[in-house]
Amino acid sequence: MPEDLGPEELGPDEVRLGGQRGGSSLRRPRRHARSPHAASRHVTSLRRSQQRLIGEEHPTTVAADEVSPTPTAPNSSDDDVDATRSTRGRLRASLLHPGRGQILAAIILFIVGAAGVMQFRINATDETYASARREDLIQLLDGLSTESRRLEGEIAQLEETRSDLRSGADTQRVARTEAERQLAELSILAGTAPAEGRGIRMRIADPNSAVDSRVLLDAVEEMRDAGAEVIEVNNTIRVVASTWFGSDARGLVIDDKPVSRPITLEVIGEPHDLEEAARFRGGIVSEITGPKIGGQVQLEQVDRVVIESLHASRENQYARPAAPPPTPR
Amino acid sequence: MIPLLGLLAGIVLGIVLEPSIPQILQPYLPIAIVAAMDALFGAFRAYLEGTFTDRVFVVSFISNVLIAAVIVYVGDQIGVGSQLATAVVVVLGIRIFTNAAAIRRALFHA
Repeated sequence: MPEDLGPEELGPDEVRLGGQRGGSSLRRPRRHARSPHAASRHVTSLRRSQQRLIGEEHPTTVAADEVSPTPTAPNSSDDDVDATRSTRGRLRASLLHPGRGQILAAIILFIVGAAGVMQFRINATDETYASARREDLIQLLDGLSTESRRLEGEIAQLEETRSDLRSGADTQRVARTEAERQLAELSILAGTAPAEGRGIRMRIADPNSAVDSRVLLDAVEEMRDAGAEVIEVNNTIRVVASTWFGSDARGLVIDDKPVSRPITLEVIGEPHDLEEAARFRGGIVSEITGPKIGGQVQLEQVDRVVIESLHASRENQYARPAAPPPTPR
Repeated sequence: MIPLLGLLAGIVLGIVLEPSIPQILQPYLPIAIVAAMDALFGAFRAYLEGTFTDRVFVVSFISNVLIAAVIVYVGDQIGVGSQLATAVVVVLGIRIFTNAAAIRRALFHA
């Protein structure tokens, strides 16, 4: 408080602070030499305590007022001017000779500055709607909720589309596997794909070349009757739906391919059934081994018959797929 | 001079580094800043009047800031946070004006 220190005390103080150029502690003793009256000593002691209070520890400044040219001039001026000058002088002195207090103040101001900037930024971030009127805010909110409803609807629609597409893809996948399965089945049936499985191998030795197309057709029919799925003759001729049996100058012919002897039939199907079908009395085996033909038949059940010969399918020249007839009710 | 440099450094650092305080402390930052301003004005006034001591300054600064924050915190807990914040700001504002008047008198004698 300025009232604590009278103008009398502040006056010399100003002098001290204002004239603190040069000077050294060596000149300190002169102060006592130059202060003959007790009042001046009192002022000095007060000044020291004040110095202690404001944390200025510069003995040189104390000495400085001794060398100042006008040590007593402010004393003669009026109190107000004195006080003003003293504060300004103190300011000037603090500029030139910073003390511990100033550094502390600097640290604290640093903190305050950083915190203030932080707060400014926090405030600035959401200042957009701070000054908006209530009607505007309500309108904004309304618009936002409408927009969000619209977007939610869009999301639902897109999700529906996605699930549709996904299930569509599933259906397509199922259809494709089904078609592939059917294709494999049909290509075995049509003889356009190799096949393997359990079956029998029948070897017909025909020294008299008496086995003709009729006998062979019989044999194939018997095998089919017994559930044969794939039939191959001589490891080269695949017997399919369109296979024909005949004979010409070259002898026995199947699908326009000559059949050399001995004839080997490889059949995929239930081996036991096939063998039974071949061996029953009056069946194919007895016919071939009979006196009329005089051949021999070797028949063995095989766990794995591999049929690799293919039937070259021709494109139909005349037959075209037709629309299926209406489903009968 | 040094305090001014400190203030500038604080502002620059705050702008450049963009420090952020925890979300929990954010409501108390404005009050703490007002309390700090009060402490600063008081310190400047004391300085101009020649009664400045750094110890008192530091202690008063910290205690002002903490008490202001604690008051608002307690207010928040008991549901009168905004009212107490207003009260703190009013009281600190009055003090700041008083200090500013004293500073004005000390500086310009008017």
